[in-house]
Amino acid sequence: MSTGHANGVAPPTQADVVIVGNGALGLFLADELAERQAGSVVVVGPSDRDAGASQAAGAMLGCFGEATTESLRTDASRKRFELGVTAHDRWPGVIERLEPYSTTGSPLLVTPETHVVLNSIGAELDTVNFHAMLKALDEYGKPWAEIDPKEIPAYRPRPDTRALRAVHLPAEGAVDARGVLAALESRLRAAGTTLVDSTVRKLIRNNGEVTGVELADGHVIEAGSVVVAAGAHSEALVKTALDDLDTVPMFPGLGFAMLARRTGGEKFRSVVRTPNRGFACGLHVVPGPGDLEYYGATNRLVDKISSVTWMADVRFLAQYSMQQLDERVAAHEVVRWLSGNRPVTLDGFPLIGWLPVSGLYLMTGTYRDGFHCAPLIAEHVANELQGKEGTIDPMFKPTRAPIETRTIEWSINEYVEHNLAAWFEPGAEAAPQMTTQQIADYYRTMAVRFYDTVGIDYGLGPDILWYAQGSLLGARRVTRYFNRLKANAGAQPVGAGAKEA
Amino acid sequence: MTISQSSVVDTVRGLVDKQLNLSAHGFELALDDDLWSLGMTSLTCMGLMLAIEDTFEIELPEEALQEATFRTVNTITAAVGAARPMSETKV
Repeated sequence: MSTGHANGVAPPTQADVVIVGNGALGLFLADELAERQAGSVVVVGPSDRDAGASQAAGAMLGCFGEATTESLRTDASRKRFELGVTAHDRWPGVIERLEPYSTTGSPLLVTPETHVVLNSIGAELDTVNFHAMLKALDEYGKPWAEIDPKEIPAYRPRPDTRALRAVHLPAEGAVDARGVLAALESRLRAAGTTLVDSTVRKLIRNNGEVTGVELADGHVIEAGSVVVAAGAHSEALVKTALDDLDTVPMFPGLGFAMLARRTGGEKFRSVVRTPNRGFACGLHVVPGPGDLEYYGATNRLVDKISSVTWMADVRFLAQYSMQQLDERVAAHEVVRWLSGNRPVTLDGFPLIGWLPVSGLYLMTGTYRDGFHCAPLIAEHVANELQGKEGTIDPMFKPTRAPIETRTIEWSINEYVEHNLAAWFEPGAEAAPQMTTQQIADYYRTMAVRFYDTVGIDYGLGPDILWYAQGSLLGARRVTRYFNRLKANAGAQPVGAGAKEA
Repeated sequence: MTISQSSVVDTVRGLVDKQLNLSAHGFELALDDDLWSLGMTSLTCMGLMLAIEDTFEIELPEEALQEATFRTVNTITAAVGAARPMSETKV
């Protein structure tokens, strides 16, 4: 049964579990609970998923393709990386379970493989991340093979940005994100889970307990447990019940991608991507569904959630897809513009666990691989909701102090490296008498002055640092958060420290 | 906090002067001088914002966190007058 205000049927007034959010995390959790027959479950979320990360996702089932120098550098980041490695193994079963419910007419698994290309339009960051990926593949015993870039189906970049190296990852593919979400909804309806097409205005708290949610139109659903899986909206929603709670701050990571129909030339048959790049996930094309191709993606941390698209991002994606992937992309027909807000935490780690008020659970903060990790996280959360032992490390609990993985000096170096990558890829040229070192010095000075100005002693990731030094609101949130932590002697940053793994 | 309007202006001017290091170079700052023409950058603006909030124990509303608010000593003073005490809010 599916109900919602749109079709005139009143939503239910109570449930055992209300899940706020109908993205990948929320729907996979609902599916897991339905599979376990764990009582009545209601999922609340707008059917258009406007500005949500999942509906805009490329849904690459990639963890090694995403590997960077940071992935395995500390104990904490290694644990985070291994979440992806473990999640990867869940997908064959997930696809088998969902395929009968798919209505797209194309396989949900749009490709089982990935090609990662190393070209020279970026900066050194591409090279070091490419090497980090190979090292991680070897360390985990995963298959890969170096191939001639010319052998990658449909890969026809402009000669000046052609790759000189490429690897084939036969075990990392991609799914049709929008097809998977639709199939999940069909399966949930068939299982009797209620999907409510609405948003939650606030959580309802009675004394020390969250007892339900209030929808946008004032309708109340009472619940034994409420799970907030509302992506970038989650923090604000939690504050409606826990105003004083200082969870690790979250920021919307606004990204842009395009679904386009190929009008000529050879079709891509694999994910073709660069390594992860400056502040973002690298340029990639995901084939399918059907004759469509997905081109992604940009990433920019912003003050407010929105689904706007910047002209600069359109130019970036269109130009570099033509240059770096296939010249024929110029004639593609864009059928859908996708923009979504990734839930980005200040320390880069997810927020998964019970909150300090009875009946309220948080699952978000998965940044760019929430879709991929969702089936695994759903198992863990379902366990915790049922009072069983969780299956993933408790380090991601939302009440933690921020996890430290870098020193200030490391943060500054990383920031410089990411800026250089972002400088060269868009075609910026230094004046003839200027060296790359001078550009690096400029960014270094900016970063040093930022830390001097805000006076924090926590090493930020390059994306957070970039955002905070360009946004008064961002700088204030970061600064005040650490000031409060400092004032609260019991909550200094903990975790793996800057210790090498 | 009971601070007279003139002392708010003086305090703001002092904070701006410190951030932009103006009087050290013999420059006397007028209340309507455009700070962005006097060497203010996004980073000095950030430092100024934090110093203003700390000094007056206020939180500037989100809509005030923009370049225009920090254009002159006068515009900053007006924003300080309209802000809420920090104890009532959490950023």
